[in-house]
Amino acid sequence: MAESICRALRDGALEGEHAPALTIKDSIDSPLGFDVFAHVLAQLSSHILAGKSQSRGLVLVAFTRSPSFYVNLLKERGLEVNSSRKWFHILDCYTDPHGWKDRIVGRGKVNDVTKEASGVSTLCKDVKDTDKLCSLAIELGKGFIGEGKGRFSFALDSVNEMLRYASVRSVARVLSDLRSHDLASCVFWLLHSDLLEDKVAAVFEYMSSMVASLESAVPSPNGLRISLANLSLTEQNFRRARFSVRFKRRNGRVRLMTEEISIERSGITFSSVSTDGGTMGGSILPKVQFNLQLSEKELMDRAKVVLPFEHQGDGKPIEIYDGRRSPADKNNEAAATMQMTDSSKGEIIYLRDSDDERPDSDEDPDDDLDI
Amino acid sequence: MATPKTRASSFSRNIPSTAASQVPGVKSGPNGTLFLSSGISDLDKILGGGFPLGSLVVVMEDPEAPHHMLLLRNFMSQGLVHNQPLLYASPAKDPRGFLGTLPSPVSSKDDKSLDRDSEQEKGLRIAWQYKKYFGENQQNSNSQRDNKFEYCNEFDLRKPVQRQFLSGQRIECISTQDSPDLAALHDRCASFLKQFLKTDGNISGAGRIAIQSFCAPQCTYFEQEWRVLSFIRSLRSMIRSSNAVVILSFPPSLLSLSFSKRLQHMADTLLSVRAIPDEDKDLAKLLTGYQDMIGLLSVHKVARINTQVPVILEAATFSMKLQKRKFLVLECLNQAPVDGSSGTSYATSGSCSGSSKGRSLDF
Repeated sequence: MAESICRALRDGALEGEHAPALTIKDSIDSPLGFDVFAHVLAQLSSHILAGKSQSRGLVLVAFTRSPSFYVNLLKERGLEVNSSRKWFHILDCYTDPHGWKDRIVGRGKVNDVTKEASGVSTLCKDVKDTDKLCSLAIELGKGFIGEGKGRFSFALDSVNEMLRYASVRSVARVLSDLRSHDLASCVFWLLHSDLLEDKVAAVFEYMSSMVASLESAVPSPNGLRISLANLSLTEQNFRRARFSVRFKRRNGRVRLMTEEISIERSGITFSSVSTDGGTMGGSILPKVQFNLQLSEKELMDRAKVVLPFEHQGDGKPIEIYDGRRSPADKNNEAAATMQMTDSSKGEIIYLRDSDDERPDSDEDPDDDLDI
Repeated sequence: MATPKTRASSFSRNIPSTAASQVPGVKSGPNGTLFLSSGISDLDKILGGGFPLGSLVVVMEDPEAPHHMLLLRNFMSQGLVHNQPLLYASPAKDPRGFLGTLPSPVSSKDDKSLDRDSEQEKGLRIAWQYKKYFGENQQNSNSQRDNKFEYCNEFDLRKPVQRQFLSGQRIECISTQDSPDLAALHDRCASFLKQFLKTDGNISGAGRIAIQSFCAPQCTYFEQEWRVLSFIRSLRSMIRSSNAVVILSFPPSLLSLSFSKRLQHMADTLLSVRAIPDEDKDLAKLLTGYQDMIGLLSVHKVARINTQVPVILEAATFSMKLQKRKFLVLECLNQAPVDGSSGTSYATSGSCSGSSKGRSLDF
């Protein structure tokens, strides 16, 4: 199912439609979001390099890690960044987001970026100007295509980081502009949902066509109480998680898929999880009450109702159980009636049918038929 | 199929019905209201005739499904077919692109079958006191034979509308993305609605305004809630005094709860659309026709402008289906009897066990 996400990003956008957009969402209970982001990045990059994807290049807007980190990450997976064909570019918003390093007198140009990475990265010195950031990213993307036809993809390192510098509206504008651009093939971004208000997280989910969220595989201990017993559970959450994806399909339906993630030294692995039967469907429909079974309370109440033959002729005032009389009164009255049956008047002896009369298992009612 | 039980009396108002029937696409209904069709015949029936002129229709979007676009498309296409001027506003940079996706009406084949039906009805002799129940059908068949235009067309969602409808029409488009305080949108609406001011005489024409994804996050006015509310209030007052219908869709999940509630209260007719999960075995068991369903439509409020009698719908939620993948139909949900142990009852008609608590039963 992570396969299906990568496939959707690889296939890209259709003519006249917006590009598919993926939100990767994690939380403090399962903080594996960046690993998933890196995985998707690597997969898409390998598709681009192999020429199997619609997009010819990838522009990564990096806020949380330096360009050298990404170059090394891709190198570890065997993806050469500085090959003859330009396919990868980083818009570096990590090194000097406000342009302060430039203004430090006497230091000259400080460059922490390795030589390898500097070839593929462009420094952005004013991240608050989101319009300029957006147009810069689009320019870089167009650089992959040159004269010919083609599209390019975008990745945004972390929406949370970008929201530190700009308002929700401007970040949403950037993402929607990227998504609706004619030459955009796909867009994906990472989001830490705990650090945002629900409404803000909802904005980014609204704008995406696939939402991948990470939840903890084991139920997390409540609150912040970390005892020795809980510690191992919490540690497990750093290695395993439930990965669920909601695909917004073209016909308006939502497809929900779930997998298990585990992170080991070798990398990240996805495995399918046994579904325990989704109850999602039932909850959105209006409930038409047509309940043929009685609940426990209703069974008890029914047993307490005094049927007509049981209370008439006792010489006591007729009171029908209405659900409020306490059982203690009932017991007293039952004891009292026992004494009254010795009169010489006629009486009706009424025996209640048993409530749950089911046929015995060896009795087959069909046996009575003479066919 | 759900039809609201309108209380039709033997008394009928002496409205000069010729006036309304001269304008194609406008139907007169009870209490002197005039209706515009929504483009979906099932929705017209549910709402008791269509959208009343001078009302504001609000559609609450679901963040996971584009069904509000279907409603908007049918609404706009119906306006094009009836040659009614249209103003369309959307947060996209180039709203005119959306016009290419409007569905085209299905024609001619269906007219023949309708003619046959009306001829058969002429053979029936209906007793006078039952005429009130057939009034609507007869009126429809009459208008179909006299006018060229039907009140509500069927739209084929797979075929885009023909060029002849788009060119030479009074269609205006405006993008709401860059308008900082909605002043530009407000002025455009005002100048558009001036053409349709209500007068005491006959109406000359009707107009339609469609505003899509109002308060989308990329719009400049996104977080200015009070500006948005005063825009809607002023739009509502403008529309009350004109012969037009405004349909507006907004995403309630992106707005604060109080703001979204205020917007909902301002609507005359309130609808909401919801997505359904794909390949959900539970839903497939619960509902019949799950394969054709694309979503759910709920009707929360129906506009009642000239009357104090509310509309009580038999059902509030309908399933949206694409018949033959082309036509949008709305159907009542057909559910199997469910084990109603969990979840809350959607309709507020309480179950029997709930109402008999705490009262002494008195035979």
